[in-house]
Amino acid sequence: MKTASSAQPLPGDFAIWVFIFAELLVFGVLFSAYALSRMSNAGLFDASQATLNRSYGLVNTLTLVTSSYFVARATRAIRHGRSAACGRWLGGALALGALFLAVKLLEFHDDFSRGITLSTNLFYMFYLSLTFFHFMHVVLGMVILGFVAYRTYAGAYDANRYTGVETGASYWHMVDLVWIILFALIYVLH
Amino acid sequence: MSSIENRPAGSVAEPQGFLPKPCTAAWAALIGLALFTYRLGAYGSGRLLMGAALCLTLLKGQLVVDYFMGLRSVRPFWRIAMAAYLIVVGGVIAVAYLSA
Amino acid sequence: MKYSSQKVAMPYFIAALALFFGQIVFGLIAGLQYLDGTFLFPDLPFNVTRMSHTNLLIVWLLMAFMGAAYYIVPEEAQTELYSPKLALVTFWVFLAAAALTLAGYLFVPYSQLAAMTGDAILPTMGRGYLEQPLPTKIGIVLVALSLLFNVTMTLIKGRKTSLNLILIGSLWGLALLFLPAFYFPDDTVKASYGWWWIVHGWVEGDWELILGALLGFILIKMTGVDREIVEKWLYIIIAMTLMTGIIGIGHHYYYIGAPAYWIWLGSIFSALEPIPFLLLVAFAFKMLLQRRREHPNKAAMLWALATPIVAFLGAGLWGFMITLAPVQYYTHGTNFTAAHGHLAFFGAYAMVSLSIISYAMPLLRGREANSPSAQRWEMTGFWIMVFSMIVITLALTGAGIVTAFLQRSGDNPLGFMQVQDKERVFFWIREFAGLGFFSGLLVYLGSFFISGEYDYASEAKQALSA
Repeated sequence: MKTASSAQPLPGDFAIWVFIFAELLVFGVLFSAYALSRMSNAGLFDASQATLNRSYGLVNTLTLVTSSYFVARATRAIRHGRSAACGRWLGGALALGALFLAVKLLEFHDDFSRGITLSTNLFYMFYLSLTFFHFMHVVLGMVILGFVAYRTYAGAYDANRYTGVETGASYWHMVDLVWIILFALIYVLH
Repeated sequence: MSSIENRPAGSVAEPQGFLPKPCTAAWAALIGLALFTYRLGAYGSGRLLMGAALCLTLLKGQLVVDYFMGLRSVRPFWRIAMAAYLIVVGGVIAVAYLSA
Repeated sequence: MKYSSQKVAMPYFIAALALFFGQIVFGLIAGLQYLDGTFLFPDLPFNVTRMSHTNLLIVWLLMAFMGAAYYIVPEEAQTELYSPKLALVTFWVFLAAAALTLAGYLFVPYSQLAAMTGDAILPTMGRGYLEQPLPTKIGIVLVALSLLFNVTMTLIKGRKTSLNLILIGSLWGLALLFLPAFYFPDDTVKASYGWWWIVHGWVEGDWELILGALLGFILIKMTGVDREIVEKWLYIIIAMTLMTGIIGIGHHYYYIGAPAYWIWLGSIFSALEPIPFLLLVAFAFKMLLQRRREHPNKAAMLWALATPIVAFLGAGLWGFMITLAPVQYYTHGTNFTAAHGHLAFFGAYAMVSLSIISYAMPLLRGREANSPSAQRWEMTGFWIMVFSMIVITLALTGAGIVTAFLQRSGDNPLGFMQVQDKERVFFWIREFAGLGFFSGLLVYLGSFFISGEYDYASEAKQALSA
């Protein structure tokens, strides 16, 4: 089994992997910019970070990780030809994605009612733009997953044809992966 | 997004017995690590603590790469590329925090 | 060519090349005026030369894009164009408006032109690239609406391919992004915003999508690769373009009075703008490697493969070098910007226009490809133009760097004219390279007059005897 599996190509369409690596490059640059600009503003960053309600970050991490897990299960299900189960896992993942967005919006609402804007200081500029940029990726990921879920319900995938599911799943895992780093950087490290 | 290549059904064998599926175990580990990282951040500061939190984060990333993305079962090149990405990003963060 | 209505593309392409020729002539004059400030003064002041050079560029690119749309949309939709007659009328209206505008620039002092054309009623004139009088601007909108109506109706009655949706969608974007041209408030910050929405929105956003669509069409046709694969690449290129380009507009906001956070957002996101160009390079060469046929039009293939490379150099690399806020602080508005502008406009938009012309013109003239000797001429013109443009870019880059060091930084910065004097050698190199470009253009245009078509039988015989 080991030899057979190691010959497998990347899951999903190769084009999505080109996109995933481009996205990781973008986020890598953003994370580095955050870290490097903190070098000369550590006090400001730490003080501002302490004002964040970190529970939002934790809840969203748990939500997104679980959503990503659901998608992994969906991929697994379709590989075994269980398309109904695949659809249910995808539906669950989408629901959790919506929960993530709701929690994030709540947090944004809190921030704005505290009078925080992009101009407040460098930390909040990064905090708002990084999390908003990621927010938009969750939206894009949900559009892709929604399309895949729709096609699953329409019976487009089975045990022999599931590249589409893997393609959407790979992107969603990337969104999760990026959030894990983002969470540590913005909410935890100081 | 229609499928181009076909693979034989059941190319991944269903695990038998009482052990959880690898991705379920990975999920449980991720949840645990996320809670732990969060606690580390709330516990205090200091280089050791933050270093640990960063390392755990990179480990979480690799868990997602290996078990959710499923890169554990493809050509090692891609998994190494992902690991290298995590190490480079983590390295930049570490250097920036150490020299702050 | 599969549908007879595609033929309306031909006058657009011919006019585009004629205007291109005019653009280069004005470029050469402007280059000379750098070396001799009184050259042709007062008949043709530098500001008029420059304005004619840049406006002709915009108009010929629009002509080429429109021609491309009239060529591609029917073929993709697998139906005749909704109204070929409307397309033809639109062409003559557009050409006449362009000619009248140019005549206005050349023969009427600009302030008088503004007074004559109702700039007092709705002020729109006086900004770079948007110097056109109000009636011309309205004309551009009407021409764009006519094009959009025509191609959208064609799309509705025909096959709806992703490529066609991308092309027509980005043409809608082109038209909508032109609307801020009518917004010119007294507040200079707001005026700058409006100006950049157009300029940046076009060349670092919407036009990249048009570029992708044109390149995708050419590659589908010439390589025989499945359209699903091409379309998938287009989607990721579009996504990266928008992701980096929309917030990347911040690099124009640095020192115009916009909030300070744009320094960060603009620097980071515009620094990522080369990524979609890199993806375009990867896309073109992956399609080449996966090709299922050898198309006889080698010249078109050369244009199509070189476009993303030169675009990456000019738009990506040269743009990156001056985009970070601390660098921009010293290089803003120097010839470094002009260097970037030249290689980016040429590499991305001029070259993709010449690619689609190279691919479509032989077909419009009833042959799959031109004769090998015509193609050799075309490719010779290609190499001379590309090489000359790279020399122009390097010369302007040199001049820009000198300005940044002698005039912008240091303890004892020199005055503008003193520094210009020190840069004369670069301006001479630029002018000679410009003459080189002009000769390359003549060779290229000459290739259209070499008759004969590609003959498979004789080519095969030659190959065997060789």
